Amino acid sequence: MARPLLRRLVHRLALAICLALAIPSTFGEVTSESQLKAAYLVNFLKYVEWPASRSTINICLFGRDSLGPYLAGYEGRQIAGRELRIRKVSSPEQLTDCQELFIPETEEARVGAVLRWVDRQPILTVSDVETFTRDGGAIALIRTDSRLQFDVNHEAIGRAGLKASSQMLRLARQIVGGSR
Amino acid sequence: MKKAIFGSAILKRSMKSAIFLSALAAFWTANSQAAPPSIEDLGLEDLVKTDITSVSRKSQSLADVAAAAFVISSEDIRRSGAQALPDVLRMAPGIEVAQIDSGRYAVSARGFNGRFANKLLVLVDGRSIYHPLFSGVMWELDPAPLDDIERIEIIRGAGAVMWGANAVNGVINIITRHSRSQAGGAINVGAGTQGAGNVYARLGRADQSGSSWKLSAQGRHKEPSKQYANRQDSDDRLSNAVVDFRFDRDLNAGRDLSVWANASLSTLDDLWMINPQFRTVTIPGLGPTAVFAGITPIRLRQTTESQSLVGRYRWLSDSGVESSVQLSANRSSIDIDHVIKEERTTFDVDYQSRYSFAAHDLLWGFSHRSSSDDITVPGTATDYLGIDRTAYTQRNSGIFLHDDWTLLPETLKLGLGIRWDHASRNGSYISPNATLLWTPSRSDSIWFKYAEAPRTMARAEQDISVFSSVNVTNSGGLSIPTFIFALPGSRAGLRAERTQGVEIGYRKQFSPALSGDISLYRYRYTDLRGGSLGSLYSCSPAFPGYVAGACPAALQGKAAYYATSQVANELAGWSNGAELSIDWLATPDWRLQLSYSWSQLDMNEYSNTAQQNMARFQEKSTPRHYGSLRSQWNIDTRQQLDLWLRTSGGFERYNAPYTTSIRVPGYVTIDLRYAYRFDRNLEVALIGRNLIGARRFEYISDYISSVATELAPSLMLTTRWAF
Repeated sequence: MARPLLRRLVHRLALAICLALAIPSTFGEVTSESQLKAAYLVNFLKYVEWPASRSTINICLFGRDSLGPYLAGYEGRQIAGRELRIRKVSSPEQLTDCQELFIPETEEARVGAVLRWVDRQPILTVSDVETFTRDGGAIALIRTDSRLQFDVNHEAIGRAGLKASSQMLRLARQIVGGSR
Repeated sequence: MKKAIFGSAILKRSMKSAIFLSALAAFWTANSQAAPPSIEDLGLEDLVKTDITSVSRKSQSLADVAAAAFVISSEDIRRSGAQALPDVLRMAPGIEVAQIDSGRYAVSARGFNGRFANKLLVLVDGRSIYHPLFSGVMWELDPAPLDDIERIEIIRGAGAVMWGANAVNGVINIITRHSRSQAGGAINVGAGTQGAGNVYARLGRADQSGSSWKLSAQGRHKEPSKQYANRQDSDDRLSNAVVDFRFDRDLNAGRDLSVWANASLSTLDDLWMINPQFRTVTIPGLGPTAVFAGITPIRLRQTTESQSLVGRYRWLSDSGVESSVQLSANRSSIDIDHVIKEERTTFDVDYQSRYSFAAHDLLWGFSHRSSSDDITVPGTATDYLGIDRTAYTQRNSGIFLHDDWTLLPETLKLGLGIRWDHASRNGSYISPNATLLWTPSRSDSIWFKYAEAPRTMARAEQDISVFSSVNVTNSGGLSIPTFIFALPGSRAGLRAERTQGVEIGYRKQFSPALSGDISLYRYRYTDLRGGSLGSLYSCSPAFPGYVAGACPAALQGKAAYYATSQVANELAGWSNGAELSIDWLATPDWRLQLSYSWSQLDMNEYSNTAQQNMARFQEKSTPRHYGSLRSQWNIDTRQQLDLWLRTSGGFERYNAPYTTSIRVPGYVTIDLRYAYRFDRNLEVALIGRNLIGARRFEYISDYISSVATELAPSLMLTTRWAF
């Protein structure tokens, strides 16, 4: 038992050296929860239609920001012909040009207030708070075992004046307020 | 076989330095904008099928905090292998943890550690567990089962504005899990060396309407450890129980209600060094005389209990003001057989509101605490303990206002706050706070902080007189002891201690897998509690200075002196330090976390000998360096191997009750945990703690002199079953 474990430890250290030397290009191999969340945030933009078209598309991160570094790599990309920007927000006045708003789990206590700020505005709300769709948010990212899935509140998306593609709805784990 | 291991050890060592160097290189060269990783190109269909392969690295979520902060997640707690809350805190930079015996700990932030370290505030779901009798935390009493903790947020430095008085060097916020995420059941059982046994059971329900509850219970037992000096059994047998109930109801529209009910009990015996021995010898010219022959311990049984009921309601007004009000009632008691019995009832009201508009994020609040006690000192203890008031109600009130003002969107944020506190017998205090958070790029942030905070005096410091130490001198071959008693502080008008200081910090996210932060601080402490010797009496008519009736009965007629020491606000000093923490996901399934702290205390110089001794001793009683390196490795989906290297420099303590000092040695030790998951609901783990290093003790309690115990290597086997 001890030998193979030791050998694996050595292998592991050797691997780490290679990785360390190759920083940062090999970090693509890492699939952490935060990276996955960031990828979801960008992807949702492709499956939702906003009423008015602009030249930029903004993902806003509310409160204690945790996904910023994970989203940085996407900034400046073209999403459906529009340039992606990432912004941090903390008050209602800052939400005016947000297309998507992420509320992290650590700000769970403020979900109610923030949802009221964005009420009836064309903003897609996303959160990793488990009950987010039930509380009136549009999309909840849910950790199930080793995967990250999402729930959709169809009614909330409609109330914001947005249109979700049927493909996105089909991939959702659960849909609240409306059928697929 | 031996050779192979030896060879690999060398290989490992050279690789370690290679890793260190390349990590260092990565630090300074890493481009924070990594080349687009493959995950960025996945579509939604692929994302829902992507497995999270990494060692979970729950976001630290601290990029926007203008303070030195650290978060411990529930997974960090589980993977630490720790069975007691203070052992978990060892991973945080700037937090000094020293185990005293099987249940007692000394825990502090940024120096000034002690059995009742009084400059660190600890909150459980917003309720302070800082004990008003000693102004510290009774760590032997488990505030909540470890499995019920969602995360622990540790903010170093003065935080009085938001958290209240006594958040002088830091605040530890323990946030328990929402009952919604604890639906179902769980049973965890553990057994280990030193007769250690743990049982935890939980049952919970959550319904679709937004109501949920959970009930959990935890029992912990440990047989006595060994005394460091003679390896005999000490008397620190620990038996703990805690029952915790939580109910949550989501009332929609930003309103929710939570109710907590908690009862905990701890019995933990102790050996107190308070029993002076005398033998009668015949001295020429004096005749038969009772001569000091040392201090022996007496066995004491300590029973601590606490029951609390807490309710919190949060709501959102039509104008968008978010508010919360929390009410709590707590009844607690400390019963130390034949020494002291304290019964206490505490009521807390805490109100907070928040309003975000334009560039402002405004917070304001009010809190009030009323804590009534009843303290009895039985006749058996009056030789070494006395109390001025047997019943007292301590009242603390505070109001605060804080604004986070965004001066430049995404770049510059100014935080300004002020708090007013009033505490009975401590007076009124204003604590201001100012922070500036500069985020020049998405992956860098720099903060500056200025803050002040008061530390209110505890009931024991105000009203209790206690045998504190014995100073032994040799005269003509005879040991002549001077027994020193600390007099109640209220007699000298003892008031709160003050702190003010600055901090600067830098936080960087080098890549999605590598982040680090560094903070530097300099704090000024004034009005620190110190003590100067008062009157000195001889207890025997044969020696000069005899005053009939001045000495306690036990010393009467003996060849001994009796002195009083009056505690007063008389010491001041500067504390400087630096802390570093690095978090690195080296490979998808291997995470490394490093923390390192350096601190130095410079007290003022005093002409008064007692003050000077106390100041110089205070400087030496904190380790200069301490740190830890944690490795979390997911061998495969079923197996985890975690290693925790912990180290601390040595420091000095009084060899209580004697006034001589003793060196608490520094150490390097390792904790290991190997876990195997049979399926998603069953996990077995083997945990080894304090596995390497010489036989050692970590602390000597001097507030109440007790016997030093040995910290021995331990093993524990645990199973976790969820259903």
